[in-house]
Amino acid sequence: MPAGSELKPLSLRREGDGLAIDWSDGVHTFVAWRTLRKQCPCASCNEARQKPTDPFKVLSEKEVTAGAPEPVRMVPRGHYAYQIVWTDGHDTGIFTLEQLRQLSEIK
Amino acid sequence: MQPGPPPSPALQGIRYLIAVASGKGGVGKSTVAANLALALQMHGQRVGLMDADIYGPSIPMMMGLGHVDPHIASFPVEKYGLKLMSLGFLPDAGKGVLLRGPMVAKWVATFLTQINWGELDYLIIDLPPGTGDAQLTLCQTAPLTGAVIVTTPQDVSLIDAVKALNMFRQLRTPVLGVIENMSYFVGDDGKRYEIFRHGGGKKLAAETGVDFLGEIPIDPRVAESGDTGEPIVRRHTDSPVSQAYLSIAGAVMHAAAKAGSPGLPEVQL
Repeated sequence: MPAGSELKPLSLRREGDGLAIDWSDGVHTFVAWRTLRKQCPCASCNEARQKPTDPFKVLSEKEVTAGAPEPVRMVPRGHYAYQIVWTDGHDTGIFTLEQLRQLSEIK
Repeated sequence: MQPGPPPSPALQGIRYLIAVASGKGGVGKSTVAANLALALQMHGQRVGLMDADIYGPSIPMMMGLGHVDPHIASFPVEKYGLKLMSLGFLPDAGKGVLLRGPMVAKWVATFLTQINWGELDYLIIDLPPGTGDAQLTLCQTAPLTGAVIVTTPQDVSLIDAVKALNMFRQLRTPVLGVIENMSYFVGDDGKRYEIFRHGGGKKLAAETGVDFLGEIPIDPRVAESGDTGEPIVRRHTDSPVSQAYLSIAGAVMHAAAKAGSPGLPEVQL
């Protein structure tokens, strides 16, 4: 399918604790920041998700005080994705448009 | 794979960014990129040529340039009215380049973000063969207008050209069309010889639903001109090869104008 006829976001904006997107097919979606961070597609987060949860893990002071994850910046990457830079400095996740749509709920 | 730097202000004065790619090496991609850049210039366009083939930079030689002193030279280097950037300009590049993928990505990103390209109608980007770090960084860092796929007529080249084409589609980068290089040879007897078979490029374009931009015949003067630092389009402008490039440049201009889609919208945080 030519790139021009593919599903695209028309606008993206913060709404409360998440991201609202208006899509080219007329659909409006919302995804919480927490969901995006939890499903971060970068290699280290993918690997971390595959490990069993450590019930004895002690959170660092930084993790305790960081609170809910918030994006600092969300940057377009070419024609196909957005990179999110989070408040804790994590910035290796590049979310394809397909992933953003898949992770979002239709409003 | 680390994500690249933010989209660059260095590219903001450029109207169309066009990648010249192929899946397979040895199809004449750099030759096509160099001659296409000059042919676009002959159409009255302001053109830059970026050599993203970090392992095997050949643009300096094709343009009759050697190493420059990076401490005193200003980049991009200018020749034949083109703005040029290549790792081959740096003296150490001649010693051979042993680089891991992230370093290749870093050099490509540097060319895209740290070089003052200024105002250009076209920036032609000569990619290395394959579908790896250089390609991915380019598609992440630059709002490409589109890619041109270069192939030779035989199946072994076409298989890899399809991979390159699919990679660009996966990254939602428009494919402007296919160019068939080394299409045929016309001997002194006036007969046409299809040395590497013929028509594969046109077939690929039809099967994948993209434009066929044109075919370039074999001419020994292509290699001779490249080796002496003055591409054939400039050195033998009236040759059939040069006329093919001028026609292809027209087709690329048409395709770029048609493809010119805006990039992704900014996020309001």
